[in-house]
Amino acid sequence: MSRKACIIGGATTPFDYGPTGFESIEGGAAECIRETQFDVPDFSLRDIDLMIYSHFSVHFGHQLAPEWIIHDHLGLVGVPHYRVENGGNTGGSALYAAALAVMSGHHDVVGVIGWETMDSVSQSQGSEFIAMASDIRYELMVGGIYPIYYAAMANKWMKDNKVTEEDVASIGAKNRNNAMENPKAQWYRNEHRYISVDDVMNSRLISYPIKKYDCCLMTRGVAALIVCSEDYAKKVNPDNYVTIDGIGLSSCTIRAGDRLNFPGWTERYGPSYPEMTEFGACRNSAEQAYKMSGIEDPLKDIDFGEIHDAFSTSEAQIYKALGLANEHTIAQFLRDERTHMHGDIPMNPGGGLMGYGHPVGATGIMSAIECYYQLAGMIPKKHVSKKTEVPDAHCGIVNSHAGTGTSISNFVFRRH
Amino acid sequence: MSQLLERKRRKFAEEPNFTEKKEYRPEGVKETGLAFIGHEISDDGNVMNQFLHYDQFYTIRHGWNSKFFKGLLEGKLLGTRCPKCGDTWVPVRTHCWNLDCKLQKTDWVEMPLRAKVHTWTIAGWSGRSSLKRLPIVLVYAVIEGSKVAIANELRSIDPWDVEFGMPLKVVFKPEEERIGAVTDFHFEPTDGWEPSPWNEEKERIKVLVEPVYEWIKTLK
Repeated sequence: MSRKACIIGGATTPFDYGPTGFESIEGGAAECIRETQFDVPDFSLRDIDLMIYSHFSVHFGHQLAPEWIIHDHLGLVGVPHYRVENGGNTGGSALYAAALAVMSGHHDVVGVIGWETMDSVSQSQGSEFIAMASDIRYELMVGGIYPIYYAAMANKWMKDNKVTEEDVASIGAKNRNNAMENPKAQWYRNEHRYISVDDVMNSRLISYPIKKYDCCLMTRGVAALIVCSEDYAKKVNPDNYVTIDGIGLSSCTIRAGDRLNFPGWTERYGPSYPEMTEFGACRNSAEQAYKMSGIEDPLKDIDFGEIHDAFSTSEAQIYKALGLANEHTIAQFLRDERTHMHGDIPMNPGGGLMGYGHPVGATGIMSAIECYYQLAGMIPKKHVSKKTEVPDAHCGIVNSHAGTGTSISNFVFRRH
Repeated sequence: MSQLLERKRRKFAEEPNFTEKKEYRPEGVKETGLAFIGHEISDDGNVMNQFLHYDQFYTIRHGWNSKFFKGLLEGKLLGTRCPKCGDTWVPVRTHCWNLDCKLQKTDWVEMPLRAKVHTWTIAGWSGRSSLKRLPIVLVYAVIEGSKVAIANELRSIDPWDVEFGMPLKVVFKPEEERIGAVTDFHFEPTDGWEPSPWNEEKERIKVLVEPVYEWIKTLK
């Protein structure tokens, strides 16, 4: 059995879009580390023996190898570094790499820094950049943006599972309203208002059945997280570290239409799965993480999650892929508001991608940080009130998601 | 030894000659590369933003997939088929996806111009280059005989009338307008197809789509 990877701290910059309060990427990275140093005074940058950088698109950054700028700005010359890129699952994949580095015993303290500056181009140009991670030969020219591909998948999924537009709209409202407690969240800092299911239903059409408030935000932001061995965690933050008990990473087709009869899925799960509606890579990576962490009934064993709500529809699809509900129970699961703060398994108390924001390379790191804060009892310190604190949280799930479900990772964190 | 040297000197492959060449470059577009074209400074003097123009032409080298895109120019939809297991695909795969076939090279086949809707959506927003075409009915449709679905636009239909499983025909643009890209064709309902009667969902879609028509009129 390999040794355990732990998290001792982390922080994000405020997530924003447009001209307000931008530090520069290297300045933002430094501020994230400064906040972590403040929270964990015994942690020192000197202890870091590997840096993994998490950044999606150099189209947004207009800079190749931008991690090199951050790295020496932090004073880390001589420390090994590399960058991970895996679409929307870039952050999750960087965390996966950091966990592996520590579990292998080869590295002891690994810094993970993620960022994206999506406001360097117009929103529609930004959408097109992201869509360049679809197969540009076949899909970019006919669709143009990701919400269209997700809407086509969700439309059939909702019909197959008897889920209504209102059912998923409640997720769009939930995550934005959760973000109203989180001063670093883009929704808190910009629109700053509580919204209802009706507001989501009446927002403009993006691609049926997805409306504007079913979609995540385009964001500029930086996030940093420290992954380390348990020995180091005990040394610098003995009372407030969490263990990464389960990790899982899986993959699916780039073009959603190619997964109808894919032999690799048929071998694993039988014919007609994942269809064009289910996230096979989410189910598969969750199964890996559950097995590793000894989770038998996720609904019972997991207290909450920070998951990849690129769209309210995909958050609902993820619930099913995580095994929280099946085709017979998912509609009622949504109507019972099980994942709201008053439910038995709150999802995205930090606001998620729809409330906190989705600066692609930073997103999975942000989700891991929020999960860490919950488990370390830091929510009253980090959010504006205790409203979004999950009481007595022992076990959380972090989910990061790319493409049309093309790469998905899941992590089980526990309070030590 | 001399044979080895001889082999090293030999060219990897003969360079193809490109006699047929067409440019669709819009007039006045120049490949400027990187250029700083302006800046702004906040009134308090603390923040500066710089405007960068970055413009590059790319060559998408279709390589072994070229037959598919050349087929589009000719108004044909080409797929590939594995000679071992028989699986057939559009979009094409030049090697079989079935691990038991050990990346068997596939054969080219001409596909029928018939398809069925697998799933659909109606886009009211899109990337910069597609905004003026909104609203777009986008379907994932299975070309008859294919194991996978391909995304493309469905035209000649009111957006609210699209249905799961509806039969489609593949329609190509007039030859002189084709550019060898997937937008050279689109789907249309099969001749004689009739939409289902008016219902609540159609009403809902109409409510969502009508503002899109109005908004598009305001675009320059």
